[in-house]
Amino acid sequence: MSEVKRVLVAMSGGVDSSVAAALLREAGHDLVGVTLHLWDADGAQQVGRCCAPEDRDDARRTCEHLGIPHYVLDEREAFRKHVVDPFVAEYQAGRTPIPCVSCNRTVKLTYLAEVARRFDATHIATGHYARLQRAAGGSLRLLRGRDDDKDQSYFLFGLPQPTLERLVFPLGELTKTEVRKAGRRLGVPNADKADSQELCFVPDGRVGDFISRQGSATRSGAIVDREGTVLGRHEGVANFTRGQRRGLGLGGGGTRYVLRIVPETAEVVVGDESQLYERELSATDAHWVAGRPIKSFQGEVRIRYRHRGALADVTPRGDGFEVRFDEPQRAITPGQAAVVYRGDEVIGGGFIA
Amino acid sequence: MIYLDHHAAAPTPDAVRLAMEEAAALAWANPLSTHAAGRASRQLLEAARERVAESIGATAADLVLTGGGTEACNLGIRGLAEGCSRLVTSEVEHPAVAQSVNRLKSDGLAVTGLGVLAGQPPSPDELARHLGPQTLVAIQWVNHETGTILPIDRYAEACREHQARLFVDATQALGKLPIDVSALGADVVALAAQKIGGPAGAGACWIRRGLDLKPVLDGGSQERGRRPGTPDTLSMVGFGAACRLIETRLAQQPRVAALRDHIENSLLARGAVLNAGPPRTATVSNLSFPGWQGPLLVAALDLEGVCLSTGAACSSGLQEPSAVIRAMYPDEQWRAGSAVRISLGMETSQRDIDLAIASFERVLDRRSD
Repeated sequence: MSEVKRVLVAMSGGVDSSVAAALLREAGHDLVGVTLHLWDADGAQQVGRCCAPEDRDDARRTCEHLGIPHYVLDEREAFRKHVVDPFVAEYQAGRTPIPCVSCNRTVKLTYLAEVARRFDATHIATGHYARLQRAAGGSLRLLRGRDDDKDQSYFLFGLPQPTLERLVFPLGELTKTEVRKAGRRLGVPNADKADSQELCFVPDGRVGDFISRQGSATRSGAIVDREGTVLGRHEGVANFTRGQRRGLGLGGGGTRYVLRIVPETAEVVVGDESQLYERELSATDAHWVAGRPIKSFQGEVRIRYRHRGALADVTPRGDGFEVRFDEPQRAITPGQAAVVYRGDEVIGGGFIA
Repeated sequence: MIYLDHHAAAPTPDAVRLAMEEAAALAWANPLSTHAAGRASRQLLEAARERVAESIGATAADLVLTGGGTEACNLGIRGLAEGCSRLVTSEVEHPAVAQSVNRLKSDGLAVTGLGVLAGQPPSPDELARHLGPQTLVAIQWVNHETGTILPIDRYAEACREHQARLFVDATQALGKLPIDVSALGADVVALAAQKIGGPAGAGACWIRRGLDLKPVLDGGSQERGRRPGTPDTLSMVGFGAACRLIETRLAQQPRVAALRDHIENSLLARGAVLNAGPPRTATVSNLSFPGWQGPLLVAALDLEGVCLSTGAACSSGLQEPSAVIRAMYPDEQWRAGSAVRISLGMETSQRDIDLAIASFERVLDRRSD
């Protein structure tokens, strides 16, 4: 970090951002903690996960412990408009969206960049497991976090260079175990708090229930096989994603998997697992971290957060790109992000059509 | 640190702190105990009650001491509403009044809310149109966010004429306007120590002689059966000591007004928009800043060492857009979201104001558009 004056730390109330703040504090930086209030958790979900008042209290407690100011800023309106509403619409259209990508790009980091400017902060730190490296040509390269299991570079491919220029990832070189250890060493109050696994605004992971709570009419329909034979009915397309096996409620006849969802008719098409494998995908709305490649290249492509990545030929096309994998991949799911890597470096990404 | 949030809490003057320190050694006993230790505590408690009473032209026996302004408002409004069928209030009340009224409304009382558009209080004639016997008027004297002064003495005349009852929330009037309850003609007047440099846990209700208010809490028969619970002598000593400084505070109002006008004019010249001008107290300027969210500006100024607030309610660190400014400017909703309250007091100096203006200028320059 050069010419660091003041660092704004995005504090969710979780361990990672708390330790990120503590490490920067230990290094002697002038810090400001900011918690974005993005969503009001409802009912029983108010306890112990993001979006709960408790998380904001945890963030404040950490900042008090570190002796730095802490502010909660309201971004609920933007979060609903740019993250939750599109999330609901995507599911209703039979896709499986990845809201963290658009949240980082459109809401969180864009807004924090504005907040940083108004706070006269030169940098923004987050608890992401990712790294930044200055390339020979002067632009920044986005790299995987050192902890393979926790790496979050997948969610960050959409960030433009001016945002990357301001970002600091204090946890990029650490493993989760090291982070917790550092948290305990530095007396971070929530160093042993459990990790959040699900989307921050759907902490129980029950997307279908969440969508009906948002007042969006359930799109129920038929469950059919590839020939169109009706095998049963389902309670709403939002309950399904490609490759899913559970929750179909079909008796007998071997294990069946969701192959695709037909948006027009709300039909869920099921079949054998072997039918889930495909070699190609096309992605739209691409963002290239250090500029759009001119021609095809060989890279590793991850098709979901927990996908380890597979070798493929990547061809930029229009505002998107085409991917041809060396080996067929299971359940390439519309709405998820396809993120292209070369080694540890994120070249770019887009959304699976 | 430059403190410009006097409407939230006034700094504790040395005299108040010293009086409380002295009392802490003496007044630990229950003031209702009849033994020597209790009597020592009681003596301080009653002396404090005298101080508070003197400062508002009241008789000490007509004061019920409470645990702050909110409790005083609850006690006064709920007590006076007994036997009333309708209630008239303003649309810009502090939550202590607004929520007390909402509870009565959900209990079936008919409620009329009068607008204070652009900081212009309803005229006494307008108020009178809603009055009659069995009507309770529950209204503030001075608005907490804008300092808007409501013509309480003329409201009181109208209430008398129409045999209506009058509850006055005077928490923001105390120390800013001269108060003489003996001449005012209200039925209940609520006060809070925190706004004049006393502790947050001390308040009082002045209750017109002969009125019998039911307590809000169930318990012992302290405060002549109107407020159960052991009186907090220590806090009341602080309240009493703070009341002794009211004359000084009032004498400082012209100086404070000049400082307020100075910072206000500087900020208006830099694009701020004034929310609610006169009639208002000397102590406050409520401004909206286009292109800023109020909480963001408050935070940015805090980082510069200037303490002020949006004035609106705060929950878990999150500030909602001001309901007061929303109600005052229903057709200009942007004002509420970008409003900031600058509130001054007798401790505010010219230097504070100059430094605050410089901080504002630095921060406002960071706007992007």
